[in-house]
Amino acid sequence: MAFAKKIQSGEFTITSEIGPPKGVEIEGILKEAETLKDKVDAFNVTDLQSSVMKLGSLATCRLLVERGLEPIFQITCRDRNRLALQSDLLSAYVLGIRNVLVLTGDHTVLGDHPQAKPVFDLDSISLLKAATGLMEGKDMVGNELVGKPEFLLGAVVNPGADPLEPQIIKMEKKIEAGAKFFQTQAIYDLKSFENFMNIVGKFNVPVLGGIVLLKSAGMAKFMNEKVAGINVPDKYITMMAEANKEDRPKVSIQIAAELIKGMKGLCQGIHIMPLGWEKHVPSVLENSGF
Amino acid sequence: MLITKLKNKEEILLLLEKKPFIIKCFGCKEVYFPEDEIEELLKGNESKIIGVARLDYLCREEFSKLYLTRYSSQIKKSGAIIVFSCGVGVQVLAKLCIDKKVLAGCDTYSLDGFQGLSVQNANCEQCGECYLNYTGGICPLTACSKGLLNGPCGGAKNGKCEVSPEMDCGWELIYKRLKGLKIENVTKESKVLIRNYKRILDELGYNKNNIKGE
Amino acid sequence: MPDKKTIDYTKYKLKPREELDEILFGISNIFVISCLKCYKEFQIITEPECHDFCEYLKEKNIKIAGYIERDFLCNNYFTEKKLKELSLNDAEAIGVISCGIGIQFIAKLFENKKIIALADSFPQSGNATSVVGYHGIALESEKCAACGECYLNITGGICPVVDCAKSLLNGPCGGAKNGKCEVNSNVDCVWEKIYKRLKEQGRKFISDTETRDYGKFKFEERKKLSLSNQASRNESFYGGVYPLERKEETKNLAITNFPDPQEVAIFPSQHTGSPAEVLVKVGDMVKIGQKIAKSVGLISSSIHSSVSGKVISLKKKIHPSILKPLPTVIIENDGLDEIDSSVKLISDWATMSKESLLEILQDKGIVGLGGAMFPTHVKLSPPKPIDILLINGCECEPCLNADNRVMVEYSEQIMKGISIVRKLLGIENVVIGIEENKPEAIERFQKLSNVKVEALKTKYPQGAEKMLVKRLLGREVPEGGLPLDVGVVVSNVSTIFAIYQAIFEGLPLIQRVLTISGDDIVRSGNFMVKIGTTLNDIVKFCFKGDKEKLFSEYYVKMGGPMMGVNQTSLDSSVIKGTTGFTFLKKNVAKTSKENLCIKCGRCVDVCPMELEPLYYAYYGQKKMWNETIKHNVANCIECGCCEYVCSSKISLLSLIKKTKKNAHNKIKK
Repeated sequence: MAFAKKIQSGEFTITSEIGPPKGVEIEGILKEAETLKDKVDAFNVTDLQSSVMKLGSLATCRLLVERGLEPIFQITCRDRNRLALQSDLLSAYVLGIRNVLVLTGDHTVLGDHPQAKPVFDLDSISLLKAATGLMEGKDMVGNELVGKPEFLLGAVVNPGADPLEPQIIKMEKKIEAGAKFFQTQAIYDLKSFENFMNIVGKFNVPVLGGIVLLKSAGMAKFMNEKVAGINVPDKYITMMAEANKEDRPKVSIQIAAELIKGMKGLCQGIHIMPLGWEKHVPSVLENSGF
Repeated sequence: MLITKLKNKEEILLLLEKKPFIIKCFGCKEVYFPEDEIEELLKGNESKIIGVARLDYLCREEFSKLYLTRYSSQIKKSGAIIVFSCGVGVQVLAKLCIDKKVLAGCDTYSLDGFQGLSVQNANCEQCGECYLNYTGGICPLTACSKGLLNGPCGGAKNGKCEVSPEMDCGWELIYKRLKGLKIENVTKESKVLIRNYKRILDELGYNKNNIKGE
Repeated sequence: MPDKKTIDYTKYKLKPREELDEILFGISNIFVISCLKCYKEFQIITEPECHDFCEYLKEKNIKIAGYIERDFLCNNYFTEKKLKELSLNDAEAIGVISCGIGIQFIAKLFENKKIIALADSFPQSGNATSVVGYHGIALESEKCAACGECYLNITGGICPVVDCAKSLLNGPCGGAKNGKCEVNSNVDCVWEKIYKRLKEQGRKFISDTETRDYGKFKFEERKKLSLSNQASRNESFYGGVYPLERKEETKNLAITNFPDPQEVAIFPSQHTGSPAEVLVKVGDMVKIGQKIAKSVGLISSSIHSSVSGKVISLKKKIHPSILKPLPTVIIENDGLDEIDSSVKLISDWATMSKESLLEILQDKGIVGLGGAMFPTHVKLSPPKPIDILLINGCECEPCLNADNRVMVEYSEQIMKGISIVRKLLGIENVVIGIEENKPEAIERFQKLSNVKVEALKTKYPQGAEKMLVKRLLGREVPEGGLPLDVGVVVSNVSTIFAIYQAIFEGLPLIQRVLTISGDDIVRSGNFMVKIGTTLNDIVKFCFKGDKEKLFSEYYVKMGGPMMGVNQTSLDSSVIKGTTGFTFLKKNVAKTSKENLCIKCGRCVDVCPMELEPLYYAYYGQKKMWNETIKHNVANCIECGCCEYVCSSKISLLSLIKKTKKNAHNKIKK
């Protein structure tokens, strides 16, 4: 597929993200995605992000395929045991989905059904391994499959984590387990990202730097306080704080563009997580020179 | 360690309507037993209660049998037995008085260090395939909220788990321990670990031949 | 269900050989720490895993740098103490054979050592279909998943979370065949059992739909409970228990005089040391305070009559603490209350020499009133330098309030008593320790200057000398030693009061305050009772139950419920060390045959002297005295904590007392 080809060719690759709705009205989101068709190489579809119950990732991915868009199927270990995870991977393949991003998943207590049982039968690495096994025609216990699926497997890494080393060790293990590309947590600090890229460059696996559009100074502060590996520099917080409400998207786009330009030389692509501001993605890309 | 917490008040007050005989178990009192709360709750409802016994180690069947003979006349008069104990105590009494409604007044929780003799900071999930050799002697199953075997999920902030700021990230503890041991890249070099849930079931006498073939 | 004795509650198993090969690769020498397992029938044998592993090491030519087997590796306090003594420098790695808790603790203890887990831990399932389930403290087949939302109320007391292979909450899955679970044909379908039981009881089968709430018990809450529990366990000193206090009953009852007895039976043996020599014969007339037996030698004390009247007999009666027939002086009270001429205050005590003061104390028969009855004149002339007098006002025994009331009602007299002791010991430094549950007493002493009052957390046995010295002064009394070894004299408040009375009122020790309380007691309270008042008089005065069944259905304890001595005869009488009488309905379970020790480890957990009481029971029953000596039985203070928590209801205290005596004789030989 185009995304796989592009990312493996070393060309700068752009992905974005779609959060399925809590409900069944999905048309609007799909239309928005279609407008980005020529700018974005593939769309991640989140899997009950933040443990909030929503429309499923698999179905949404299929709808993207039907509209000629290339999806990246996000699959977490939170809600399914190894039977269901393997089965859903096979389902994804027959539905025409070729890109899979494997994640551990947030804990259930963080979401809107905190009473739910967290599964975590497998973790992200064992799931990558299981997926690699499926591609080789075997399930996790070695039973033969009828026909083999083919995927481009991806994983995530958090370059801002402290301590960083466990993340890098785990990244290496993910590569061993079959990860062919990485998408990162949101980047706001280019200097530390450069440091990270210097360390992981030797792995020769494409890394797509994460971009999250800042919506307000409050959001930035909240992320600094609560979200792992995120550290929005004060200058961006000040910029957001000083902008009046209607100017905020403009400032936010300006910040994102600055970051993307900075990343161009560092990594192999970017991954934009608009978190509801999908409509601003075109201008972000325009301002970044795409 | 098993500990008990009182069920919610309304639920217990409803149970009191059955003219119950009440048994309070203080067998693990040195661990935790909500005796004062029970007293508080029963206050003012004495007329509904046939009798109260304060006993210990209800979980020990032979003791419970003796207790039941001592209180047999009161129990006979009662509409139900409410047991304030862990789930084991309730079940033992339910087994011994099949013709009586045996009701639970408490919910039971486990505390870390169960198999041990006292409450500890460490816990063991008894997974049947000890991983401590790979993790510097800190158990990833119990110290990590997700029980991840191959490294941190990345959700920890300032060394604290995403689930609760009270909880240390287990994998960060493991990382620091290994670092202290100067064991380089232990997590990387070790094979990918995947839990084998069947191993416990085999150990417990799970009948292999009996699993329905599908 | 297998025979109970054969249930193997083994927590761990040695890892498979292939895995051992892998984890021990490249290791040439190893120190082995092995846990002796818990929750199993207690037998002193080496665990097979440890033996098997050593064999394995031999085979692989791996050197054993050292080797230790311990009980309860998970007991942080003990394990740390024991293992820190080991020299592990030569060992390349430490191999641990234990459940995961033990391994983790040792890994933490030796953070810079390579720790190798040699065993896998397995849980005890409910019924061999599901993995969940904890057993209680006893080894029964019922298990609890500790799910935090007990469903037993709607399932007839049968747990579906543990016993159903799928932990279903709302009825059977439909997979059962002939009443057996689809997972294991040897196991009943639990939902069929629940259905039957509910039907038998005429109850409705589950009507509401139940959904598990896995998030209910938050990490924060669990952690809070864990921490508060650990804090209470480690409060003040290692071990100890929090028994039901039952002090409210008599706490606020002022001291009153116990009705004068018709007859008193006074034992010449009421103190540590030689019994006093009787000075009277049958037919003699005596007065209150008249000496009727004189001390023999240094460690001895005099005895005085507590009534006026005629000596009518010198018959033997059962002694309330030795529990053997011993001679008494039985005096018929003539009711005239004539006071002996020797009873007169000593006005010039401040100018008297130490020696003459001590002589007076000996002459007035003053002994320690806390229970041990050690002659006070000996205690107050210590052979070693002393810098602190510690007054024990803890009264940590449940039910008792005698010391409490003495403190509340006679604080000024106690202060005067203290001034006498200060003079005798030549010190100024006085600390008085009172448990927090006696706020009134604490307040009284805080108002008085000249003495430091320490309020102590209520925990039994806070009042034990060694605990007190350690807690309040931070001094550790050596094993087998006394407080005076660390420069401290510990004295009970009531003793100080008796010293006051001896000097300021000239009164010999012929009466004391004691608490009477317990089950089926009509007139509980704190009484000033004459020494020699019989138990019969006390029972007649206060006990409302069936006297015929007194000893068969009640424990009559001289003292409190924990350390009190079980009485066997109504003839025995109040002695100087009687702090009270406590009547307790016998626990039915206790009267049954002795049960096996199941190694729950709780006795080790609560022993304030940091001993391992389970070994005393085991070796004591087998008369292996040498082994009990090895386990330091002599250090036991007989506080009874171990017996209080024993999950097998073994009469540990009486076993220990017997063992101690035998071990002592053995050492003497």
